[in-house]
Amino acid sequence: MPPAAASGIPAKRVLASKEAALFKELLTLYETRQLKKGQKAADQILKKFPEHGETLCMKGLILTHMGKREEGLDLVKKGIRLDLTSHICWHVFGLIQKGEKNYEEALKSYTQALRFDKENMNILRDAASLQTQLRLFDSLVETRHTLLKLRPQLRQNWIALAVAYYLDGKLVDTKQVLEAYEKTLKNVPDYDIEHSEVLLYHVRVLEELNEYSEALSLLDVNAKSRSIVDRTSIMEHRARLLSQLGQKDEAEHAWRALIEQNPDCYDYYRGFLGNQDIDLDSITNENRGRALHILRELSQQIPKASAAQRIALDVAIDGDFKESIKPYLTSGLEKGVPSLFVDIKSLYQDSQKLQVVQDFVEDMRHNLSGAESSTPSSSSSIEPPTTYLWTLYFLAQHYSSLSQHSRALELLDEAISHTPTLPELLTCKARVLKRAGDPFGAARLMDEARLLDGQDRFLNTKCAKYRLRAGLVEEASEILGLFTKKDAASPGTDLEDMQSLLYLTEEGDAHERNGHLGLALKKYHAVEKVFNEVEDDQFDFHGYSLRKFTINIYLNLVEWEDQVRSHPAYIHAALGASRIYIRLHDDPSLVASCSAPAQLTDAAKKAKKKAKKAAQKVQEDAKKASPAGNEDKGLDLVPPKDDDPEGLKLVSGADHLERAHKLLAPLVSLSLNNIEVWAISFDVALRRSKYLQAAQALNTLRTLDAEHPELHIRIIEFHKALSPTTDSLPPSTQSFVTSCLSDLLPGDISLETFNSQYLQRHSASATHILACARVSRKLGAPTGEVEDLAFSLLKPEVALDLKSGMSALVFFKELNSGRIEEFRSACDLKFPLACTFKTPSELAALRQNGFTGNLEVEEKQEQEVLS
Amino acid sequence: MNIRLARIEDLMGMQACNLQNLPENYTMKYYLYHALTWPGLSYVAEDHKGRIVGYILAKMEEDLGPDDDPHGHVTSISVLRSYRRLGLAKKLMVQSQEAMATIYRAKYVSLHVRKSNRAALGLYKDSLGFSVHDIEKKYYADGEDAYAMRLSLKP
Repeated sequence: MPPAAASGIPAKRVLASKEAALFKELLTLYETRQLKKGQKAADQILKKFPEHGETLCMKGLILTHMGKREEGLDLVKKGIRLDLTSHICWHVFGLIQKGEKNYEEALKSYTQALRFDKENMNILRDAASLQTQLRLFDSLVETRHTLLKLRPQLRQNWIALAVAYYLDGKLVDTKQVLEAYEKTLKNVPDYDIEHSEVLLYHVRVLEELNEYSEALSLLDVNAKSRSIVDRTSIMEHRARLLSQLGQKDEAEHAWRALIEQNPDCYDYYRGFLGNQDIDLDSITNENRGRALHILRELSQQIPKASAAQRIALDVAIDGDFKESIKPYLTSGLEKGVPSLFVDIKSLYQDSQKLQVVQDFVEDMRHNLSGAESSTPSSSSSIEPPTTYLWTLYFLAQHYSSLSQHSRALELLDEAISHTPTLPELLTCKARVLKRAGDPFGAARLMDEARLLDGQDRFLNTKCAKYRLRAGLVEEASEILGLFTKKDAASPGTDLEDMQSLLYLTEEGDAHERNGHLGLALKKYHAVEKVFNEVEDDQFDFHGYSLRKFTINIYLNLVEWEDQVRSHPAYIHAALGASRIYIRLHDDPSLVASCSAPAQLTDAAKKAKKKAKKAAQKVQEDAKKASPAGNEDKGLDLVPPKDDDPEGLKLVSGADHLERAHKLLAPLVSLSLNNIEVWAISFDVALRRSKYLQAAQALNTLRTLDAEHPELHIRIIEFHKALSPTTDSLPPSTQSFVTSCLSDLLPGDISLETFNSQYLQRHSASATHILACARVSRKLGAPTGEVEDLAFSLLKPEVALDLKSGMSALVFFKELNSGRIEEFRSACDLKFPLACTFKTPSELAALRQNGFTGNLEVEEKQEQEVLS
Repeated sequence: MNIRLARIEDLMGMQACNLQNLPENYTMKYYLYHALTWPGLSYVAEDHKGRIVGYILAKMEEDLGPDDDPHGHVTSISVLRSYRRLGLAKKLMVQSQEAMATIYRAKYVSLHVRKSNRAALGLYKDSLGFSVHDIEKKYYADGEDAYAMRLSLKP
């Protein structure tokens, strides 16, 4: 606070002495969150001075804390208008905007506040957090400078400046600040974790400046004096720096010590081999032998070093591989390690290794099955029967990964008849069926697996996920509810609160497949919300980490947050929602059909009723719990009650494309190497008539894969969309767009020839053929011709997989083709296990098969146990 | 499987793993709080594709009584069912304990387990060497009691 008696205070801010004292009290009451009393004090002042801006703002702030946001905000705005030069008024406004996560506006208010009170530490610190959140690093440096000048005796202020410089990319300045800081230090207490973190930060900065020997000596001095207390960090830095400096012997020693301490850390082996100039990620025939030799030695010297054996399997080939894979597989099968197959599957990139594994495990199965059938007394085998079981399990996964589904199922059926109570066998069979295209059978088996171990949430989650894959949304919810919080409004609410991306994306997909586009959009936007939350989460740490001196991990946090939306779940949700928005934009009749509330099944009605009851209870409990009104609800904006639970407004809104654009924009600016991101971005840009963005998307697609089917289709779309409008575009856009298109499409041939040349280049690939058929249709070819083209998918030389078969069937529907039945039944023969190609009546029967339907019996039993 | 110190970019994978395995779940902010307060204590197990298949989320106890020694606390530990029998939980625990002892001079490590969770109890007792120190009545939100377990760390 500025002293009240200072000269130059505007008359309207001056209070009589009694009220001035009251105002001071009001500030204290607010600081200690005595909200009711604070409100009374404010009212008392306002009785005498109803136009006192600062009091109005403080009252507004208090009301906001008490949950009366609108009323509070009105008062604050009124207060500011009455006293535009008060730092208190602007500070209060900034606090409220910050609570609304409106960081940009909040920073503007803080900047105003600082104009009138340049040296206010609280405001400066808050402003620094906002500047970090908004990544305004040069202003951050200024703010941190000011804070350091005001309080150089505070350790934190030095570190804060060093961090600001680092974030601003100024490593040399960072280093200088740290050196100056270390000189000011006297009597650092022994074993000070905070000081230790600062020193490690200093080492990191030197390392990033490529000043390796300075970094090493700083590290060594402070490790020796025990000023750096984190031993693992010391060892890791040391090993890395020694390798960088080419001090190979010492480096080897350091890497070895790390391996001894954690023999399962792959980075340490990478470092150990790297130190001997062997890059584990690109082994050559020259260094292969040496690498293997080193790994073998490590295995022998450090018997715990199991990772060395696994890494050797990546490196070894031919005879060496044969020799080392055998004990590895045998030991895994004997121990019954369920993940054995997943563990070695990456070796299959080398088809020779695949064959070696298959031959060996098949041999093993053959030998063991002989032992199985012989009578126990005469058995010469020392293997327990479980080894046989895990061998069958392994082989089933092996054949399933090679799309030999029926072979996999045979093996699993044998294993299940051998031991019907092992959930892994059932989950594996479920996965095989899922891959073969039977989501209903898969869901049923997953349910059987779940019933074998009802206490296991892993099996529960799998079962729910498989039900969602089969479109059984309510049935999935019932299962999920066995583990979610009982007082949540619904299982889904709890999972959404807990930020379960798996649940949100899977249920969104399920709704989309069931044609409930509004509900699907709700889930996809809920995923977006999780990422908004994660971005907001960092805010508090801008101050917290400096107080705790955990700077190193904090800097990683800031970097990570900048690209957190490259997470597969965000990409999936953004693409899923955008595809729906595009469909709604292209086909307004879809809006009408989706806007009607969905027809509910009995199970859904029951679930809805239950959810409503639970929600009511939550509200009642909340009412009971809230005391007479002194409760501090904080400043964070609580989202209003969801008034569109079915997503009807999302479906019927007029802003489909804008919403899609908003979801995709962060992905575009991250410039990910993801074909679909660019393809969908193109689709949205084209429909928004943003031709520059569309052209840029196509350019990126071309650099990623110039022959990609998604690109081929869009080249034609772009050409068709542009030809009538090119002349109306601004000249700069026009020239960019035209040159982009001429790069993609040779000018001297017709579009039809362009398409048929493309087909000739890719005549054995299903996705490329389908793209050609789609283009052919866009170019107005006769339906018969398009159909013939699509039917060529069934030729023996074309590798048609299930997914392409499914998209082809969709295409036939779009065509209104008279030959759809013919295509469907041909695919049915080709993919006998897949449900997509069944007739509607067959499908209805299969759907019934998706769950055992005995959940109510189960619930009853559970209640009996509990009572 | 690769066992290493948890990094910021692992936290969402840890959260996913926790949600898939255990009934006690936390929002991202709580994971961040652990990582940004005790960056050296949480470890992960990852598969060849970089997927988190097991984790230990650990901290130091903050509210120490006057006679209480500094000690670590395991907030959550779990391994995906499909990655069991590799001893991953033990490996994760060993690394975290080592860090508690060297960085923070922890004397022992504590954790809570539901009384009804026999599988976990067996893991902590038999594989990891914990013993029951106390029973905390109604520790969990649904009213269930917890065993408070401890393992002393070698000096």
